[in-house]
Amino acid sequence: MSDVIIEVKNFNAYYADKKAVKDANLKIEKNKITAIMGPSGCGKSTLLRSINRINDLVPEFRIEGEILFHDRNIYDRETDVYSLRRRIGMVFQRPTPFPMSIFDNIAYGLKLIGVTEKKEIKEKVRWSLEKAALWEEVKDELDKSALKLSGGQQQRLCIARAIAIEPEVILFDEPTSALDPVSTQKIEGLIEELAEEFTIIIVTHNIGQAARISDYTLFMYQGEIVEQNETTKILRNPTHEVTQQYLSGKIG
Amino acid sequence: MNENTNFSQEVTKRARKSNPVNKGMRSKVTLRVITYIFAALILSLFLLALIPGIRYWNLDFFTQAPSNGMTSGGIFPALLGSILLTLLSLAIAIPLGMLLGIVLSEYNLEYIRFVVTILSGIPSVVYGLFGLGLFCITLGMRTSILAGALTLALMVLPVISSSVYETMYAIPRELREAAYALGARKSEVIFEMLVPSVKRSILTVSFVAAGRAIGETAPLILTAAVFYATNLPTSLLSPVMTLPTHLYFLSASYGKNARWMAQGTTSVLILFVIVVYTIAFAFRREKK
Ligand SMILES: Nc1ncnc2c1ncn2[C@@H]1O[C@H](COP(=O)(O)OP(=O)(O)OP(=O)(O)O)[C@@H](O)[C@H]1O
Ligand SMILES: [Mg+2]
Repeated sequence: MSDVIIEVKNFNAYYADKKAVKDANLKIEKNKITAIMGPSGCGKSTLLRSINRINDLVPEFRIEGEILFHDRNIYDRETDVYSLRRRIGMVFQRPTPFPMSIFDNIAYGLKLIGVTEKKEIKEKVRWSLEKAALWEEVKDELDKSALKLSGGQQQRLCIARAIAIEPEVILFDEPTSALDPVSTQKIEGLIEELAEEFTIIIVTHNIGQAARISDYTLFMYQGEIVEQNETTKILRNPTHEVTQQYLSGKIG
Repeated sequence: MNENTNFSQEVTKRARKSNPVNKGMRSKVTLRVITYIFAALILSLFLLALIPGIRYWNLDFFTQAPSNGMTSGGIFPALLGSILLTLLSLAIAIPLGMLLGIVLSEYNLEYIRFVVTILSGIPSVVYGLFGLGLFCITLGMRTSILAGALTLALMVLPVISSSVYETMYAIPRELREAAYALGARKSEVIFEMLVPSVKRSILTVSFVAAGRAIGETAPLILTAAVFYATNLPTSLLSPVMTLPTHLYFLSASYGKNARWMAQGTTSVLILFVIVVYTIAFAFRREKK
């Protein structure tokens, strides 16, 4: 692998005494889409949520090992977790629009990074909505409450909100599992386009989705990464028994 | 086994046939009747208290002080006193109650929440005694607007903070996480995301609190109100007349000749409460 942006090294994660991720080792390549797959409860979200340290908010959560972002351990004492989260954005399973207008949803993040000039905010709102393929649908009603959008539109708004502050990496935790097929298709297309500018890690249950959009796939089982490779290779030729079973629908 | 399934299917079928159509209708009608009975009761209560007093309303009633041993004149000093006390107490209680509600929901302070719940159940006369001891005597405010407003503020504080707490607490965890995931600090999550999204509930509860504050009698008798003030208040340390205490004194110590004024005052109080709660209700509805 060439351009490695994130490297996870001997990483363990616990909720109190329960070990949710066991000795994970992996490298994430820049501008690629990496999919994390595996049966429910195998630790996918835990691993993903460790990368932007959002799991720090979970009481009793603790980790061992390292996650390097540009070769610096994000769990170091001197890491500024707030600026880390600005550089590693996240989109959740259920759309999470804030109960305010479409415009303010995006402006919220911009204000956090210190963009205060009105004109600049407007430009970035437009830029991010265009990138999220939502601009045409909402350009005349930016003052409307974001809660009035459809589920698929809300999810694209959340993507726009994440990219507006121009992170380097975007983490997606099953971003389409709460959406209808049409919205899912739109968002898949969107994620592929975003990979030109951002590095993307996506947790998904959907084998087809991983096949369609991802370059690399990690397969997890009971907290361990049992297999990782180029997606085409894993899907065509899974080497590990559980991966084979999962792909054939025997577990999951 | 097979028979059993058939039997239970049969039962479900029959239940389905009778349930949603007949029984559902019947219980709907019953509910409606009960609702109407209650509405009628409440309405007649309001009307019986509200209507008889309205005929005494005229310009003098609202602009004059009582005179001739409460047999003529109006209720202006009491009206003014009630408005001043209500506004001042809300000005103190809303920001503090908001802050307390926020702290309770964002920091894990189970025991303080318990105390607040207890405080909201304490009878208002106890608040009055507390205010009398602390504000009027210990802090030397005597019987005054300030002492009364502080006492009322203490009384509605738990109401406001509980309600702010409830609405803040109901905001899903995912939304907070989404804000943190953008790199927000705790204060930026609270004051720029959570508080703006509960603004409306805060407005609603402010009006509810106003409705409670305006009608309080016992704590004001103890801390702020006199039964007759020759002058309008000149400062926050002056005593005042208020609508509910005026009503109380009129009914307790004046005879038939002052009854008209009691009725007129009752109507003003009821109208005030109706208006305030209607506004609160309208805010709440619009939110949904
Ligand atoms: N907040 C938490 N507190 C305690 N245990 C947790 C917590 N979150 C997750 N776990 C446990 O950690 C393990 C891994 O959970 P995780 O959410 O990472 O799985 P997942 O692969 O994302 O599952 P899913 O596909 O269902 O989303 C599970 O056994 C789960 O019960
Ligand atoms: Mg998950």
